[in-house]
Amino acid sequence: MNTQPTIKKETKNKIRVEFDRTPLKERLKAKFLNLPFYTNIVWYVFRFIILLGVSYIVLYPFFTKIAASFMSPDDFIDVTVRLIPKYPSFDQYKAIFLENKYMAAFFNTLTLSLISAILQTFVACLVGYGLAKFKFKGNSLVMGAVILTMVVPHGTVYLSMFMKFRYFDIFDFFGIFKGLGYAGLYDGIVDIGKWIGSLFSGVPYTNVTNSIQLTQTFWPMILLSITGLAFKNGLYIFMMRQFFRGVPDELEESAYIDGSDTFRTFLQIIIPLSVPMMITIFLFSFSWQWTDEFYTNMFISTNKIVLMPKIVGIPKSLETTYAGQELYYSAINNTCGLMIILPLVVLYLFCQRYLVQGIERSGIVG
Amino acid sequence: MNNEKMKKSSSKKSRPASLDKRKARAGWIFVAPFVIGFLLIYLPIIVDSIVYSFNEIDPVRTGGYTLTFVGFSNYQKALFENADYVKTLVAGIQQLLLEVPSIVIFSLFIAVLLNDKIAGRAAFRAILFVPVILSTGLIGSIDAQNNLGEFMDASESIDTGTGQSTAAALSEAINLEALFANMKVGTELVEYVAHAVDSISTIVNRSGVQILIFLAGLQSISPAIYESCRMDGATAWETFWKITFPMISPMILVNAIYTIIDSFTSESNAVMRLIDSVYSQPDGNVLSSAMAWMYFLIVILILAAVAGIMSAFVFYQRKDT
Repeated sequence: MNTQPTIKKETKNKIRVEFDRTPLKERLKAKFLNLPFYTNIVWYVFRFIILLGVSYIVLYPFFTKIAASFMSPDDFIDVTVRLIPKYPSFDQYKAIFLENKYMAAFFNTLTLSLISAILQTFVACLVGYGLAKFKFKGNSLVMGAVILTMVVPHGTVYLSMFMKFRYFDIFDFFGIFKGLGYAGLYDGIVDIGKWIGSLFSGVPYTNVTNSIQLTQTFWPMILLSITGLAFKNGLYIFMMRQFFRGVPDELEESAYIDGSDTFRTFLQIIIPLSVPMMITIFLFSFSWQWTDEFYTNMFISTNKIVLMPKIVGIPKSLETTYAGQELYYSAINNTCGLMIILPLVVLYLFCQRYLVQGIERSGIVG
Repeated sequence: MNNEKMKKSSSKKSRPASLDKRKARAGWIFVAPFVIGFLLIYLPIIVDSIVYSFNEIDPVRTGGYTLTFVGFSNYQKALFENADYVKTLVAGIQQLLLEVPSIVIFSLFIAVLLNDKIAGRAAFRAILFVPVILSTGLIGSIDAQNNLGEFMDASESIDTGTGQSTAAALSEAINLEALFANMKVGTELVEYVAHAVDSISTIVNRSGVQILIFLAGLQSISPAIYESCRMDGATAWETFWKITFPMISPMILVNAIYTIIDSFTSESNAVMRLIDSVYSQPDGNVLSSAMAWMYFLIVILILAAVAGIMSAFVFYQRKDT
């Protein structure tokens, strides 16, 4: 048998090589009957099963919640019912929608979340860019401050944050504003003096009353967002900084050489470049603001503005003294949770591609 | 002559300085929103919080509030009078130290599994990240109120919805401790692993971000290194410990720190919940500040210790720039 390939010239630019192929059986044998192939298969199957199992653990709670949300009280005392309700009903959804002010909460939360998510994304972008691309004295100090805001838990600043916005005033600014002029400033200084005095004398210290109340409005959230101090904003700034550090300096340098100034470069070169990352940050800030109850309960505690945390509860029409009461109430609470996260699920389905991309590109790799 | 030289050198120096200065100014403008907010809002809040923890606070009817300096009495109350604080604190820190390794190891494991090509990789990533987006804050607190686990297990009609009972049922079925009892690895390790398996749903739910950080790290390792390893005949096991592990070690540090911060600032944390509940008690607001500050200091110490110990073992690849 001729094992050497034969080369035939067909046309001017085409040649044809003919050689004997190894028989199919041999080829299959070489491909499939060896150890690495089997270890690969075993490894592949093993990986697949583990990932399936983990995904199951993640998704299972949602399955049960969804199943329970369609159940009527009868299902909860029926022992044979496990996941699929025997007496399905939309009562829970209907009651929560109509009685728990779902629509009001939806639109209020949408407004608040959109405002703060947009502000937070933009501010994180600005600050992250400033920290990543400019060397100035105090750069690392500012970075340290960012990390400090990340590390201090909410519980530590709960009281003082509430007090800050309940009696909002910076350097007695509003005292001056109210036409008291220098008297206000003077009051402020006297005030600090009084406070220091109270440390030694034990005489109670009373705060001045020029402050304004910002609680029960969106203002605390807006102020915190503008200044990059809201929930987890330190993380966003950190992520943006890491992302911008990965952007080559040559891009900006060429823009500078073409006569663009720093801010135009930022707006026209850097911002378009970082859209996936910004979508990631937006998704984070939007959904964490959406499900946030810490700040919303702290700043907006009355019923004047209905937000998402307020709708969790048992609607009047579903109140029951039935045998499965406890279980049923728990299911209703979970249904509230499902209705709260429904808009987020839709958002996540659209954005998750960017999310993974964004995080991978942020390359928190250093 | 000498004078002239000095003049020359100083003028040479001043020219690039102006560009630097301009860049520095631009940098300050970029970080201005944060710096202003930090100085005017956040720093006062932090200082106030420390001040409050040494005071008693009373709102005044005409507006404003009264502070009375009481020294360390809030701290004393927290440590010696509150029945739960020390107990919860110790338990919380113990749990923190136990959880962090399992979360980091688990997320590294999953990231390695996800890094190679596999059918439905994108779907798996999306699913693993679901808890980060959906199970925080409000949903977390609804889940936390679902402590009807035993009742549900008894009726067997429906799960609590937290996934806790499935994992419990699973570990009961396997009975890990019996399985490992014959191996000579010491009971503590067996108990630790069994505990980790019991709380698998918590671990999975809390390692979303960590998995992504590890994935980012894994993808930054050059494929050429792996190729040369394979050429030299290294097995996958050796490659993992000799290449992947050292290359990923900075990420392990980052993830350990992230996990500690994440778990001690989260509201599902037992200590945080105690502090929240103390806050809503009458006269509890300053007490909760004192408690939170003590907790914060302890965790900062832990963070510093972990960062210090781990950074000794971290391998940084020199990038040729």
